[in-house]
Amino acid sequence: MKLRILLADDHEIVRRGLCALLQKHDGWEVCGEASDGRQAIEMAKQLKPDVVILDIGMPNLNGLDATRQLLQHDPHFKIIVLTITDADQVIREALDAGARGFVLKSDAARDLVSAVEALQSKRMFFTPRVNDLVLRGFLDRGHAISRNEPPSLPELTAREREVTQLLAEGKSSKEVASFLNLSTKTVETHRSNIMRKLSLHSIRDLVVYAIKNNIIQMPPPASSASPSTPA
Amino acid sequence: MAVRILLVDDHPVVRQGLRTLLEGRSEWEVVGEASDGVEAVEKVGQLQPDVVVLDVTMPRMNGIEACRLIQQKTPGREILFVTQHDSPQMMREALAAGARGYVVKSNLARDLVEAVEAVSQHRSFTALARDLHAEHRESGQGRL
Repeated sequence: MKLRILLADDHEIVRRGLCALLQKHDGWEVCGEASDGRQAIEMAKQLKPDVVILDIGMPNLNGLDATRQLLQHDPHFKIIVLTITDADQVIREALDAGARGFVLKSDAARDLVSAVEALQSKRMFFTPRVNDLVLRGFLDRGHAISRNEPPSLPELTAREREVTQLLAEGKSSKEVASFLNLSTKTVETHRSNIMRKLSLHSIRDLVVYAIKNNIIQMPPPASSASPSTPA
Repeated sequence: MAVRILLVDDHPVVRQGLRTLLEGRSEWEVVGEASDGVEAVEKVGQLQPDVVVLDVTMPRMNGIEACRLIQQKTPGREILFVTQHDSPQMMREALAAGARGYVVKSNLARDLVEAVEAVSQHRSFTALARDLHAEHRESGQGRL
């Protein structure tokens, strides 16, 4: 029986490339494609794929929150996250969310097949930087608080994170309500809880928080052709 | 005669996606790939493609600079930019550098084939994701 893979990335050109890459492998099939985290969750619940590949930087619901929500629904999902950066904080969040594979988009042509193979054999797949970080974390265990650890922020609920992403992407409370099938009043309540928990005072503060915490990603600068930003 | 195409993007997965989209046309041939502007200028000199599909943001040398150099060193190529910069300012810069076409990556599945067809016939093709009809409309060709 073929290994069934669900692929989620907001760029169709990237999905085309990844599909071509994965389908070269006998015995694998891409059973579905999603263009944001919300659609990925719906399709995963419906199609029950063996492996889910989620881009982190997707609109409406990012790949990390989609990972959290999918694993909350069914902890047996095997998830690989695709990312444009292997900054420590992104690695930590991906591991915390429960991803079993972590692949840099720029290295996907080389690493994605190996990552799927690893998950197929019930192993995990990480880039060398992730392995270093995990090892450092293991070695540091016992030192109660890491010296460079940022102060921890109050935790947002899954729903609050969704609302944060949608507001930071520029949607109004009314639009968020319609998107999530909630009342505007409920969204306003989430919004004020988020602002209170995070001690934020404006939507601008919320956008900055969302970017710093990888809930949304910065669009490329309009005026500069460099440095490199992946698709 | 086949239209010979060079693909230039720093991400192999994107190059693979471009190749998949272009392979549907039997009269088009992808003759090579490059991963940055320096390599693109070299490969254009060696392979003399008809169309160069060129990313803007790349290491070593960006696409705008590469486009200028290609036009200087190997004139006669038609250059089509594919980029994530959904920006009229960047589009103007690309066209000023000598490109014939400009499309954004988010709409490539819709626009790429049409754009390559246009530029290979020496027609311009520009398509941003945002609606710029009010701001700028090219006469007759392409879509903004």
